[in-house]
Amino acid sequence: MLPYRSKKSVLIFILPPLLLYGAGVLLPVIQSLIISFFDWDGISDMKFTGLANYIKMLTGDSVFWQSFGNSMVYLVICLVLQLGGALLVATLLTGMTKGRDLVKTLYLLPAVISTVAISFLFQRIYSVDPKGLLNQALDAIGLHSWTHAWLSDPHTVLAAVSIPEGWRFSGLYMLIIYAAFMSVPPEIEEAARLDGANGWQLFTKIRFPYIRPVWITTVIMAVTYGLQGFDIPYLLNNGRYGQLVTTYMYRTAFSNTNYGYASAISVFIVIECLIAVALIFKVIFRKEEA
Amino acid sequence: MSATSTLALKGQNKPSARRNKLNFHMVLNRVFIILMVIIQVYPLLWLFITSLRTEHDFASGNAFGVPHSFTLENYSRAFQAGNLGQYIFNSLIVTFGADLLIVIMGMMAAYAIEVLGFKWSKIIRMLFLMGMIVPTQIALVPLFIDYSQINLLDTRLSMIIPLAGFSIPMSVFLFSSFYHYIPRENYEAASLDGAGPYRIFMEITLPLSLNTVVTVVLVNSIFIWNEFIFGNTFILTDGLKTIPLGLQNYIGAMGNTDWTATFAAVCVTITPLMLVFLILNKAMIQGIEGGASKG
Repeated sequence: MLPYRSKKSVLIFILPPLLLYGAGVLLPVIQSLIISFFDWDGISDMKFTGLANYIKMLTGDSVFWQSFGNSMVYLVICLVLQLGGALLVATLLTGMTKGRDLVKTLYLLPAVISTVAISFLFQRIYSVDPKGLLNQALDAIGLHSWTHAWLSDPHTVLAAVSIPEGWRFSGLYMLIIYAAFMSVPPEIEEAARLDGANGWQLFTKIRFPYIRPVWITTVIMAVTYGLQGFDIPYLLNNGRYGQLVTTYMYRTAFSNTNYGYASAISVFIVIECLIAVALIFKVIFRKEEA
Repeated sequence: MSATSTLALKGQNKPSARRNKLNFHMVLNRVFIILMVIIQVYPLLWLFITSLRTEHDFASGNAFGVPHSFTLENYSRAFQAGNLGQYIFNSLIVTFGADLLIVIMGMMAAYAIEVLGFKWSKIIRMLFLMGMIVPTQIALVPLFIDYSQINLLDTRLSMIIPLAGFSIPMSVFLFSSFYHYIPRENYEAASLDGAGPYRIFMEITLPLSLNTVVTVVLVNSIFIWNEFIFGNTFILTDGLKTIPLGLQNYIGAMGNTDWTATFAAVCVTITPLMLVFLILNKAMIQGIEGGASKG
């Protein structure tokens, strides 16, 4: 704390950022909460309906639960691709001596491309007529029977919209985990290696426990982003199947102009994120006790 | 103890076998890395190659082959149909405006919380940090309604406010974790010389923050430059659209009629940021890695 500071100076520094944060984030969050208790289409008068939107959402709306299930599958696919891919490549990279920077740069490349461009790219990769990259690759290795319209088949559309998001951010998490691996003191690894630890033991007993704080941050980042995933599923999929909670909420708000119900769903998304973070901490805490 | 010494002896007895095993590992390691890099990069390469194909070549050729002839005609068609210059201009304004707010407001809040200190500073800090896990979707409906009431809908500011608002938490976090490490003595010495909180901010804190400013700007610029959902919801006029929105417009209009020109249009929109990234990749990678080891 500075010895010479006035209340006024504190206010001058803290008020503008608080106002901007309030206008962009806090106020809308509170407004969403309020609107979620009303029935409102944006034009006619707001009608207070209490918990009706929430009751409808949780007990009477099968489309909502379907999209919730889809969101969970989307989350799992993203986590496997992002964190699994990140761990694998970061581990492989520590075993490399030359060309690390090149690999890092190339691997991160998809992260700087807009979701609109990525959606277009994957639409063309999945395309049937003319055959896109994926279907041509299947033809080339003799799996003609596997080629099909990935985005319009209800069985594959969800995986098809999840994979691009996993692909896009794998590089970001790889960099974070790689940096953490590099902070493991070489003496510890050397000592373990002298004691005869193999690569797998080195990973599970030394490296991974050492980077746990970073790993926790990374998991929280990946899970909360995964639960908010919107752009690519929205842009790639207009159909009835494979909708996520977020895209369902967006269409409820801006296609059906049902603001009250959409607000209830968006409050659900916030609560979902909070519960997810709490669960992650709980799992970690239990492990620490054991 | 005995187990380890026998292991060590075994290793000494068969140096050649061990070296073979090591080489095998190295090769496997390389193969896997190259495979993963190809998965990340090949789709982008395909995008660029396709943008250079003639329509005939694209319709008949196979995706993996090198095109028979290259052409830049797709690019001229993309530029003719699209409003690209305007989109790029809009993106620059929105990115610059939001970055400016994020950096200045982030620094000010972090300075008040970490350096000046006040009674409620812990709570305010928590309030900002909580914003990191608030999903952006929750702001869409309320902001859409608020904007339409105060005539802010369909303006560049309607994008800048939520973009800056949602990025401030990360900015406050990065600046305040950096300010935490500035030795107190610096401030005390300046205070004794009669410098007040404003002069200390301008003369000590601000100049020291430059590295963090670079990190904050780089990470946020990527996010803002590519932002889709706020723009898609609040911007209606074509003349105000940023690059992703303009591109989406173009894909909607031309995507199914002129395939190769659409590939060219996509390439044009992703090239500027990719070039910036390839030039500044060291700084960006260090920014992400540095953030990780602090977090």
